[in-house]
Amino acid sequence: MRRNIPLAICLTMGVAMMVQFFVPHPASVAFYDLTTKWVRIVGAFALVLGTGSLVMYHIDKLQRRRTGWYYSIVTLTAAAATSVIGLGWGVKPGSPLQDIIFSNLLVPLNASMFAILAFYMASAAYRAFRARTKEAALLLVAAFVVMLGMVPIGANVPFFWFMVVVNVALLVAGFVTRSKALLIGAGALVVGLLAWLGFSGFKVPPLMLPDTAEWVLSVPNMAAKRAIQFGIALGGIATALKVILGIERGWLGGGKQ
Amino acid sequence: MHVSTNILTWVAAILTIGIFSFLWKDNPFYKFCEHLFVGVSVGYTIALTWYNSVYPDLFNPLFLSPLSEVSLGNKLLLIIPLILGLCYFCRFIPKVSWLIRFPMAFVLGWGMGAAIPAMFQTYIVKQMQGTFLTPGIFARWDVLLWALISFVGVVCSVLYFFFSKEHKGALKVASETGIVFLMVGFGASFGYTVMARMSLLIGRFQFVLRDWLGVIK
Amino acid sequence: MRFFQYLLKIDRRIIYIVVGLLVMLPLIKPLGLGVNSGPRAQTLFKAIDQVPAGKTILISVDFDPSSMPELYPMLAAVMRHAFAKDLKVLLCGLWITGAGLADKAVTEIPPEFGKKYGEDVVFLGWKAGVDAVILGMGENIKNVYPVDYYGKSLDSLPMMNTVKQLRDIPIMFAISAGTPGYQDWLLYAQSRYGMRVGAGLTAVSAADAYPFLQSGQLTGMLAGMKGGAEYEVLVQKAGYSKTYMPAVAAMDSQSLAHIVIMILVIIGNIAYFVTRKRGA
Repeated sequence: MRRNIPLAICLTMGVAMMVQFFVPHPASVAFYDLTTKWVRIVGAFALVLGTGSLVMYHIDKLQRRRTGWYYSIVTLTAAAATSVIGLGWGVKPGSPLQDIIFSNLLVPLNASMFAILAFYMASAAYRAFRARTKEAALLLVAAFVVMLGMVPIGANVPFFWFMVVVNVALLVAGFVTRSKALLIGAGALVVGLLAWLGFSGFKVPPLMLPDTAEWVLSVPNMAAKRAIQFGIALGGIATALKVILGIERGWLGGGKQ
Repeated sequence: MHVSTNILTWVAAILTIGIFSFLWKDNPFYKFCEHLFVGVSVGYTIALTWYNSVYPDLFNPLFLSPLSEVSLGNKLLLIIPLILGLCYFCRFIPKVSWLIRFPMAFVLGWGMGAAIPAMFQTYIVKQMQGTFLTPGIFARWDVLLWALISFVGVVCSVLYFFFSKEHKGALKVASETGIVFLMVGFGASFGYTVMARMSLLIGRFQFVLRDWLGVIK
Repeated sequence: MRFFQYLLKIDRRIIYIVVGLLVMLPLIKPLGLGVNSGPRAQTLFKAIDQVPAGKTILISVDFDPSSMPELYPMLAAVMRHAFAKDLKVLLCGLWITGAGLADKAVTEIPPEFGKKYGEDVVFLGWKAGVDAVILGMGENIKNVYPVDYYGKSLDSLPMMNTVKQLRDIPIMFAISAGTPGYQDWLLYAQSRYGMRVGAGLTAVSAADAYPFLQSGQLTGMLAGMKGGAEYEVLVQKAGYSKTYMPAVAAMDSQSLAHIVIMILVIIGNIAYFVTRKRGA
């Protein structure tokens, strides 16, 4: 009963909503309106889970005097004070919740927390981004094209000069590592660039870096992302069907019942 | 340089420095800021959930609105989501924690049922239309060429993820072509990620230099 | 050789200081590089520009303060564009911590154009249940939001007399930092109610949106702070606004930051390959 009734509710609601998508009858629309309203109300209560778990964790940490228990006082006090101020003074224009707490506490804390990621990303790019394989090198070149092409400094850089720099880098890498593959690749690229120059009447081809970046994003990147999206969508639909049909029961939780 | 005299701006600046201090090393000031952030977020969520969701959708129509505004039938109907919502609280009472399955079943079933046709339409049908039908492909040679390249890219990238058969022969060629497209896609994502992270840092510097220190206008 | 080994083991705090200084300097002493608008921003600009005066556009504020530097400038620029064209603006949000940012925009921007709350702009607020909210708005906005963010009944707001459901809105602009976001608007508002959706995204998720642009599901896109800067430039070039453009002001720093990252990656790779080759 403790498992079968929830599974039955899930099946009923899932099938009803799938069928409702195709049925414009007023009874179907009324059912849709009613259940949509109920989901919004029930969804608001779901926040209780996260909030309650956090509060219980910090109270437990405080009671057991675990390492850093004094910081739990900060969290619980801040949560209580913000709730009281918010519930007491409301969210009208000029309320303390907006003017003081949101603008001068939440915004700087939240924004700074994510701003420091820039430094970590720079450090990680320096230490870990290695073009060890052809695929990694291709990823690097694509990243450089987008990084330069999407900012003002790259706006007036012809793609031809960018490829010349890449070619020089390939040649240097080939000589340093004494890799035949790199030197052959660099040589082939030189031939390609000279041919391109020839076709443009020995003037620098007018294709600019931002246009190349836009092409990289609109063609190969778009194709790759679409393929990934197909996979995610098909997986999502399959999982949704499994949940509705009761094949996927992880959401019921553990226990004998 | 025109340093701000607003005490709240100084509070914001000090909290910014507190979070940034983690870059040097972990320290009590950073931990204080981190726990303050968690607490304030939770309190803000509680206040907004009450004023924007629970009060107007449930509490007001069920308990405060007169029968002339909300009929008895509608009020009685609201008891059902109220009971379902209250079942979430049972999570914290071990003996009756299984009651949480009821609201979860309702919300999950409803959500999955609503999502399936929408996902099929948005992620499968429309995307396949985009793959096979590109406007203007016979009007210009380059549009036709890029449409063909995209088509090949989509097919090969999808085939790369087909692991039910060993990647040999034609499938190997296709999946290796798919890898090329995927690598370019990931490179483009990395390039954009660099842009995103740097933007966030620039935003914080703009606050420090403009709003707090008044170095820039 | 020792130099390259030192380069590989350099203290990460030195990298932080270098990055921090090079990002800060162009803010104090701008390089004056200028900003050109791309095709995606132009598509979105044209789409909003063609909306007849008096109509309402919907802006969904689906981001929080962590994405504010990237997305708030685009929110401000689009609102200024709409008000300059005598369009009405309806705001809502799927992120709870985005409500405060939408409130900030509603407080700061309409007075620049003499616009009044309730007549020219309404902020509905945040509501729990992403898909239920969008699907509910598709049938009847007042059923989902009986009151606005400030607790005022929607019946008392004149603007809401002409906007009953999503079909009354010619185009919406979803400003998203992730999930929930523009994809939920595509899933539920567009698939069911045929809504036109433009997107403003953080740069992290911009590359993933190109399939939707190609299939025509998205009408234009602004990607990251650069996208915000592009729209600010378009709005200013069209003569709709002359206010300070924070995203444009940040572009010099953005350019230098990208150069710094590229140089760091190149140096790291050189040091790695040299030490590996000589070590072998």
